Amino acid sequence: MQLSSVYLFEVGSQKAQWLSARQTAIAANVANANTPGYHAVDIQPFSAVLDSSPIELATTNPAHMSLPQSETGALREVETDPAEQTLSGNTVNLEQQMIDLGEVTRDYTMGSNIRRAFHQLLLSALK
Amino acid sequence: MMQDPLQTSLRIAASGLQAQSTRLRIVSQNIANAQSTGSAPGADPYSRQTVSFESEMDRTLGANVVAVKSIGVDSSPFKLEHDPGNPAADEGGMVKMPNVDVLTELADMREANRSYEANLQVAKQSADMLNTTISLMKDA
Repeated sequence: MQLSSVYLFEVGSQKAQWLSARQTAIAANVANANTPGYHAVDIQPFSAVLDSSPIELATTNPAHMSLPQSETGALREVETDPAEQTLSGNTVNLEQQMIDLGEVTRDYTMGSNIRRAFHQLLLSALK
Repeated sequence: MMQDPLQTSLRIAASGLQAQSTRLRIVSQNIANAQSTGSAPGADPYSRQTVSFESEMDRTLGANVVAVKSIGVDSSPFKLEHDPGNPAADEGGMVKMPNVDVLTELADMREANRSYEANLQVAKQSADMLNTTISLMKDA
Protein backbone atom coordinates (compact mmCIF):
# COMPACT_ATOMS: atom_id res chain seq x y z
CA MET A 1 0.00 0.00 0.00
CA GLN A 2 2.72 2.48 0.93
CA LEU A 3 4.60 1.86 -2.27
CA SER A 4 1.62 2.40 -4.55
CA SER A 5 0.61 5.68 -2.86
CA VAL A 6 4.18 6.97 -3.06
CA TYR A 7 4.17 6.11 -6.75
CA LEU A 8 0.98 8.12 -7.16
CA PHE A 9 2.69 11.16 -5.65
CA GLU A 10 5.45 10.68 -8.19
CA VAL A 11 3.04 10.56 -11.13
CA GLY A 12 1.14 13.52 -9.67
CA SER A 13 4.22 15.68 -9.57
CA GLN A 14 5.21 14.61 -13.08
CA LYS A 15 1.80 15.63 -14.31
CA ALA A 16 2.04 18.99 -12.52
CA GLN A 17 5.45 19.56 -14.11
CA TRP A 18 4.09 18.71 -17.52
CA LEU A 19 1.06 21.00 -17.06
CA SER A 20 3.30 23.89 -15.97
CA ALA A 21 5.49 23.41 -19.02
CA ARG A 22 2.40 23.35 -21.21
CA GLN A 23 1.14 26.54 -19.58
CA THR A 24 4.45 28.21 -20.48
CA ALA A 25 4.11 27.08 -24.11
CA ILE A 26 0.55 28.46 -24.26
CA ALA A 27 1.68 31.75 -22.69
CA ALA A 28 4.39 32.07 -25.35
CA ASN A 29 1.85 31.35 -28.11
CA VAL A 30 -0.65 33.91 -26.82
CA ALA A 31 2.03 36.56 -26.31
CA ASN A 32 3.23 35.99 -29.86
CA ALA A 33 -0.28 35.83 -31.36
CA ASN A 34 0.50 38.89 -33.52
CA THR A 35 4.19 38.26 -34.21
CA PRO A 36 4.95 37.78 -37.92
CA GLY A 37 6.45 34.39 -38.77
CA TYR A 38 5.88 32.87 -35.32
CA HIS A 39 4.96 29.18 -35.24
CA ALA A 40 2.74 27.89 -32.44
CA VAL A 41 4.32 25.30 -30.14
CA ASP A 42 3.00 22.69 -27.72
CA ILE A 43 4.54 20.17 -25.33
CA GLN A 44 4.73 16.49 -26.22
CA PRO A 45 1.72 14.59 -24.89
CA PHE A 46 1.89 13.37 -21.30
CA SER A 47 1.96 9.73 -22.41
CA ALA A 48 5.33 10.43 -24.05
CA VAL A 49 6.61 11.74 -20.71
CA LEU A 50 5.42 8.60 -18.94
CA ASP A 51 6.90 6.33 -21.62
CA SER A 52 10.28 8.01 -21.39
CA SER A 53 10.42 8.12 -17.60
CA PRO A 54 13.69 6.46 -16.79
CA ILE A 55 13.62 2.92 -15.44
CA GLU A 56 16.39 2.63 -12.91
CA LEU A 57 18.67 -0.36 -12.93
CA ALA A 58 18.71 -2.15 -9.61
CA THR A 59 21.91 -1.53 -7.68
CA THR A 60 22.46 -4.75 -5.79
CA ASN A 61 26.17 -4.29 -5.40
CA PRO A 62 28.06 -1.20 -4.13
CA ALA A 63 30.13 -1.35 -7.31
CA HIS A 64 27.04 -0.83 -9.50
CA MET A 65 26.76 2.62 -10.94
CA SER A 66 23.46 4.34 -11.53
CA LEU A 67 22.82 5.85 -14.94
CA PRO A 68 22.66 9.60 -15.28
CA GLN A 69 19.06 10.71 -15.78
CA SER A 70 17.72 13.53 -17.80
CA GLU A 71 14.62 14.50 -15.89
CA THR A 72 13.07 17.10 -18.17
CA GLY A 73 14.13 15.50 -21.43
CA ALA A 74 10.58 14.52 -22.31
CA LEU A 75 9.14 18.00 -21.74
CA ARG A 76 10.14 18.92 -25.25
CA GLU A 77 8.44 21.58 -27.31
CA VAL A 78 7.06 20.53 -30.65
CA GLU A 79 5.56 22.68 -33.36
CA THR A 80 1.83 22.14 -33.78
CA ASP A 81 0.23 21.43 -37.13
CA PRO A 82 -0.51 24.76 -38.73
CA ALA A 83 -4.28 24.49 -39.17
CA GLU A 84 -4.33 28.02 -40.47
CA GLN A 85 -1.70 30.53 -41.27
CA THR A 86 -2.15 34.26 -41.48
CA LEU A 87 -0.63 36.35 -44.23
CA SER A 88 2.27 37.25 -41.94
CA GLY A 89 3.18 33.57 -41.43
CA ASN A 90 1.77 33.27 -37.91
CA THR A 91 0.14 29.96 -36.97
CA VAL A 92 -1.32 30.82 -33.53
CA ASN A 93 -5.04 30.11 -33.23
CA LEU A 94 -6.09 32.25 -30.26
CA GLU A 95 -9.36 30.37 -29.68
CA GLN A 96 -7.59 27.00 -29.57
CA GLN A 97 -5.05 28.45 -27.12
CA MET A 98 -7.85 29.62 -24.83
CA ILE A 99 -9.41 26.14 -24.90
CA ASP A 100 -6.03 24.55 -24.09
CA LEU A 101 -5.57 27.07 -21.29
CA GLY A 102 -8.85 26.05 -19.69
CA GLU A 103 -7.90 22.40 -20.05
CA VAL A 104 -4.55 22.94 -18.32
CA THR A 105 -6.09 24.84 -15.41
CA ARG A 106 -8.79 22.20 -14.97
CA ASP A 107 -6.30 19.31 -14.99
CA TYR A 108 -4.01 21.17 -12.62
CA THR A 109 -6.82 21.76 -10.12
CA MET A 110 -7.84 18.13 -10.39
CA GLY A 111 -4.27 16.95 -9.86
CA SER A 112 -3.77 19.09 -6.81
CA ASN A 113 -7.10 17.94 -5.34
CA ILE A 114 -6.09 14.32 -5.82
CA ARG A 115 -2.78 15.04 -4.14
CA ARG A 116 -4.60 16.68 -1.24
CA ALA A 117 -6.80 13.61 -0.90
CA PHE A 118 -3.70 11.41 -0.66
CA HIS A 119 -2.12 13.72 1.87
CA GLN A 120 -5.24 13.43 3.99
CA LEU A 121 -5.18 9.68 3.57
CA LEU A 122 -1.62 9.49 4.87
CA LEU A 123 -2.35 11.97 7.64
CA SER A 124 -5.40 10.06 8.82
CA ALA A 125 -3.18 7.01 9.15
CA LEU A 126 -0.64 9.02 11.16
CA LYS A 127 -2.98 10.84 13.51
CA MET B 1 19.00 26.81 -13.65
CA MET B 2 15.53 26.80 -15.06
CA GLN B 3 12.87 28.99 -13.50
CA ASP B 4 9.49 27.81 -12.31
CA PRO B 5 7.45 27.39 -15.52
CA LEU B 6 4.39 29.05 -13.98
CA GLN B 7 6.39 32.14 -13.03
CA THR B 8 7.84 32.08 -16.53
CA SER B 9 4.39 32.03 -18.11
CA LEU B 10 3.43 35.03 -15.96
CA ARG B 11 6.43 36.92 -17.31
CA ILE B 12 5.64 35.93 -20.90
CA ALA B 13 2.05 37.12 -20.49
CA ALA B 14 3.38 40.39 -19.07
CA SER B 15 5.55 40.88 -22.16
CA GLY B 16 2.47 40.31 -24.31
CA LEU B 17 0.48 42.88 -22.32
CA GLN B 18 3.27 45.40 -22.75
CA ALA B 19 3.57 44.80 -26.50
CA GLN B 20 -0.18 45.12 -27.06
CA SER B 21 -0.43 48.30 -25.00
CA THR B 22 2.37 49.84 -27.07
CA ARG B 23 0.31 48.96 -30.12
CA LEU B 24 -2.76 50.63 -28.59
CA ARG B 25 -0.68 53.72 -27.87
CA ILE B 26 0.36 53.97 -31.52
CA VAL B 27 -3.24 53.42 -32.67
CA SER B 28 -4.53 56.23 -30.47
CA GLN B 29 -1.71 58.47 -31.68
CA ASN B 30 -2.77 57.80 -35.28
CA ILE B 31 -6.45 58.45 -34.60
CA ALA B 32 -5.72 61.63 -32.65
CA ASN B 33 -3.63 62.95 -35.53
CA ALA B 34 -6.01 61.87 -38.31
CA GLN B 35 -6.56 65.53 -39.23
CA SER B 36 -3.17 67.01 -38.36
CA THR B 37 -1.89 68.93 -41.35
CA GLY B 38 1.47 70.64 -41.73
CA SER B 39 1.85 74.27 -40.68
CA ALA B 40 3.61 75.78 -43.73
CA PRO B 41 2.05 75.89 -47.22
CA GLY B 42 2.56 72.55 -48.98
CA ALA B 43 4.19 70.98 -45.88
CA ASP B 44 3.84 67.27 -45.16
CA PRO B 45 1.15 66.36 -42.61
CA TYR B 46 1.36 63.71 -39.85
CA SER B 47 2.50 60.32 -41.15
CA ARG B 48 0.76 57.22 -39.88
CA GLN B 49 2.96 55.15 -37.54
CA THR B 50 3.14 51.37 -37.54
CA VAL B 51 4.23 48.85 -34.94
CA SER B 52 5.79 45.45 -35.58
CA PHE B 53 6.47 42.68 -33.10
CA GLU B 54 9.16 40.04 -32.90
CA SER B 55 9.62 36.92 -30.85
CA GLU B 56 12.65 37.30 -28.64
CA MET B 57 14.51 34.67 -26.62
CA ASP B 58 14.79 35.84 -23.03
CA ARG B 59 17.94 34.15 -21.72
CA THR B 60 17.15 34.54 -18.02
CA LEU B 61 13.70 33.01 -18.54
CA GLY B 62 14.68 30.47 -21.18
CA ALA B 63 11.49 31.25 -23.10
CA ASN B 64 10.27 33.22 -26.08
CA VAL B 65 8.80 36.53 -25.02
CA VAL B 66 7.38 39.12 -27.39
CA ALA B 67 8.95 42.51 -27.93
CA VAL B 68 8.26 45.56 -30.07
CA LYS B 69 10.64 45.23 -33.01
CA SER B 70 10.23 48.67 -34.48
CA ILE B 71 7.90 51.62 -34.68
CA GLY B 72 7.91 52.55 -38.33
CA VAL B 73 6.36 55.20 -40.53
CA ASP B 74 3.73 54.33 -43.14
CA SER B 75 5.08 55.56 -46.49
CA SER B 76 1.80 55.42 -48.40
CA PRO B 77 0.89 58.68 -50.21
CA PHE B 78 -1.01 61.48 -48.46
CA LYS B 79 -4.55 62.32 -49.46
CA LEU B 80 -5.06 65.68 -51.16
CA GLU B 81 -8.02 67.86 -50.27
CA HIS B 82 -9.11 71.15 -51.75
CA ASP B 83 -9.23 73.66 -48.90
CA PRO B 84 -7.80 77.07 -49.92
CA GLY B 85 -8.44 78.60 -46.49
CA ASN B 86 -6.12 76.19 -44.72
CA PRO B 87 -2.69 77.57 -43.73
CA ALA B 88 -1.13 74.41 -45.15
CA ALA B 89 -2.71 74.90 -48.60
CA ASP B 90 -0.33 75.24 -51.57
CA GLU B 91 -0.78 77.66 -54.51
CA GLY B 92 -3.50 75.48 -56.02
CA GLY B 93 -5.43 75.40 -52.74
CA MET B 94 -4.66 71.73 -52.12
CA VAL B 95 -3.88 70.49 -48.60
CA LYS B 96 -2.02 67.27 -47.85
CA MET B 97 -4.00 65.25 -45.31
CA PRO B 98 -2.49 62.45 -43.15
CA ASN B 99 -2.50 58.91 -44.62
CA VAL B 100 -4.52 57.68 -41.63
CA ASP B 101 -7.59 55.57 -42.30
CA VAL B 102 -9.68 55.67 -39.12
CA LEU B 103 -11.49 52.43 -40.02
CA THR B 104 -8.18 50.55 -40.31
CA GLU B 105 -7.06 52.00 -37.01
CA LEU B 106 -10.28 50.91 -35.31
CA ALA B 107 -9.88 47.37 -36.66
CA ASP B 108 -6.30 47.35 -35.39
CA MET B 109 -7.49 48.60 -32.02
CA ARG B 110 -10.02 45.78 -31.73
CA GLU B 111 -7.36 43.19 -32.54
CA ALA B 112 -4.94 44.67 -30.00
CA ASN B 113 -7.73 44.67 -27.43
CA ARG B 114 -8.52 41.03 -28.11
CA SER B 115 -4.87 39.99 -27.80
CA TYR B 116 -4.50 42.03 -24.62
CA GLU B 117 -7.45 40.22 -23.06
CA ALA B 118 -6.04 36.83 -24.09
CA ASN B 119 -2.73 37.64 -22.39
CA LEU B 120 -4.57 38.83 -19.31
CA GLN B 121 -6.46 35.54 -19.21
CA VAL B 122 -3.19 33.59 -19.34
CA ALA B 123 -1.79 35.67 -16.47
CA LYS B 124 -4.95 35.09 -14.41
CA GLN B 125 -4.93 31.34 -14.98
CA SER B 126 -1.21 31.06 -14.14
CA ALA B 127 -1.77 32.94 -10.90
CA ASP B 128 -4.73 30.67 -10.14
CA MET B 129 -2.57 27.59 -10.66
CA LEU B 130 0.12 28.93 -8.33
CA ASN B 131 -2.52 29.66 -5.70
CA THR B 132 -3.94 26.15 -6.06
CA THR B 133 -0.54 24.72 -5.21
CA ILE B 134 -0.06 27.08 -2.28
CA SER B 135 -3.50 26.19 -0.90
CA LEU B 136 -2.36 22.54 -0.67
CA MET B 137 -0.47 23.62 2.44
CA LYS B 138 -3.50 25.19 4.07
CA ASP B 139 -5.22 22.12 5.40
CA ALA B 140 -2.32 19.69 5.46
